[in-house]
Amino acid sequence: MAEHDEGYGISILKPRGTSMRSEVRVIRLVLAGWLLSIVAFQVFVYLLEVNYSELLLNELTFFNLPIHFWLTGQFLPLWFIILCALFNFWMDRHSVRSLDGSLRFTVRGSRSREGE
Amino acid sequence: MLSPTVQLLPLAIVAGMFALFILSGLRTRSRQASEYGFNGGYTGRIGIGAAIASNWMSAASFMGLAGMFYLKGYFAMAFVVGWTGGYVLLLVLMASQIRRFGKFTAPDFVGFRYESDSARTMVACISILITVIYSVAQFRGIALLVSWLFGIAYIPAVVLAASIVVSLVVVSGTLGVARNQKLQYFVLIVTFILPLMLLTRKLGYFWLLPQFGYGAAISDLQQQFGFAWSEPFSTVSLFHWMALCFTLMFGTAGLPHVLSRFYMVPGIRDARWGVVWGLFFIALIYWSAPAYGVLGRLFEARGGIPFSADPGSADMVILSAVSNAGLPLWVVGLLAAGGMSAAFSTVAGMMLTGSASFSYDIYPRLIRPTASETDKVYAAKGFFLILAAVVMVLTLKPWGMIAEIAALAFALAGNTIFPAFLLGIWWDRANAPGVIAGMLSGVLITFLPFLVGDALPVVSRLLPPTSSAFIGAPVVIVVMVVVSLLTTAPSESIRRFLARDVHDCSEE
Repeated sequence: MAEHDEGYGISILKPRGTSMRSEVRVIRLVLAGWLLSIVAFQVFVYLLEVNYSELLLNELTFFNLPIHFWLTGQFLPLWFIILCALFNFWMDRHSVRSLDGSLRFTVRGSRSREGE
Repeated sequence: MLSPTVQLLPLAIVAGMFALFILSGLRTRSRQASEYGFNGGYTGRIGIGAAIASNWMSAASFMGLAGMFYLKGYFAMAFVVGWTGGYVLLLVLMASQIRRFGKFTAPDFVGFRYESDSARTMVACISILITVIYSVAQFRGIALLVSWLFGIAYIPAVVLAASIVVSLVVVSGTLGVARNQKLQYFVLIVTFILPLMLLTRKLGYFWLLPQFGYGAAISDLQQQFGFAWSEPFSTVSLFHWMALCFTLMFGTAGLPHVLSRFYMVPGIRDARWGVVWGLFFIALIYWSAPAYGVLGRLFEARGGIPFSADPGSADMVILSAVSNAGLPLWVVGLLAAGGMSAAFSTVAGMMLTGSASFSYDIYPRLIRPTASETDKVYAAKGFFLILAAVVMVLTLKPWGMIAEIAALAFALAGNTIFPAFLLGIWWDRANAPGVIAGMLSGVLITFLPFLVGDALPVVSRLLPPTSSAFIGAPVVIVVMVVVSLLTTAPSESIRRFLARDVHDCSEE
């Protein structure tokens, strides 16, 4: 995915065009939320286990479940659903905006032709 | 939990469920023919979601996951996160874009994008290999259930299971049965959740939401029997957990039968929302699966049954938990029916796709270039039987539990097809030599632990067979990038197609 100067230069690292740039920005945000949640929760659980022993993990419960079971087994799948829904809401709005933009462009184009 | 007698009531429930699917499939076929024509019915976002979920649910989800919890405790959470988180990758990086390519299969996609018949044939071969590995996991699930239903040993059960699969596929094909995926998902969710609610109620826990109610069983196990679930990384390292989790996620976004849901969806917007619903339906099962493993352990501890590390017993824990709880036999029958349905639909779909891939991507290109359409149909039928035989033989002596076998297929998909699709969509400079070199490296990385793992233990530690894509997929991406940059760029036409038809690169 390195930069190169020939051709169309499609790359997720160097998006081109207004539409692709904003789409890639949202993809990066969603993927950051996805990656951070997975890594951070496991590191958190690992540090709890290493530093405070199993007793604390047993004591810390949420919705009846030990905290690590709840965070990983219940919350993370729910978080993934939320991330996907947020991405879709944004994509829906983005596609409407793109459509508006292309319609405005068409109307402006036809007006300017009319003026000629 | 082998019983020497035939389980008549559960057997009747299983047979009734298959009869229901066949009748419903015949009805669906006639309705589609009359109302929708050959394009099939438009089912809406929830319908697409149910189809995604029922397509996804296999013996690994239905039986294997609970077995992993029973044996390995928190480590099995890597499966839950891996098998749900992969859909985030799939949605944001691939779902819409795949649809815009307008191709029908993974070999079609790769052949078109990389303008290479060799890459196309290679993906077809890898897809078939994935089919074989994944089908072994399903055959194992079916065989364990058949073994219990008929009261026979595992080896004859494998042969009987293979015969049942082939017979049902032939009957369905002859009658032209369409797959009613909404009904199938409904059956799966009811047969999985209802027994769990009854099980939790029997123990006096919060049974209305057993997904939370089983938490009390974890503390009971700890307090009454000294069984600790609270040391997540005491036996498995954090690296191993992460490696498995990310391998499953990369594999999810690379499995041909998962990607195939997005080639022909009616609209991109519906496809995207279908993923959200599909993920929700899948999560309903995964929120519940740990409960079976935990409750299975608790019933054994209370009944004084010694803990068994036997993988076969662990894979059957959903049935043994319900059976040990003293619930009626029809409840066990429901679970057996759900497990059979999940495993059968997956294995039938994958093997039929594998056979089609052989007859259209490999047979006329590598074996018989002059093959007619009739020859290809015969080749597909013959290859289906060969696939069934190969899978049956491999299932006689499987190399792990159901979920572990499936994980190997995920590792292969994550090391090969995932990078090929990812760069194919998001980097226009990726070319045929790059993808071929990358996929060859991916196959090598997947099987390296089997080849040199004994001689070089460090390989098995860094690339565990079920978890090799964590390191493997990034390595394959680097190989693809380097080889692509060192060789000629793809044609102008495919790069223009990517810029104009797949991505919107215009400036407002």
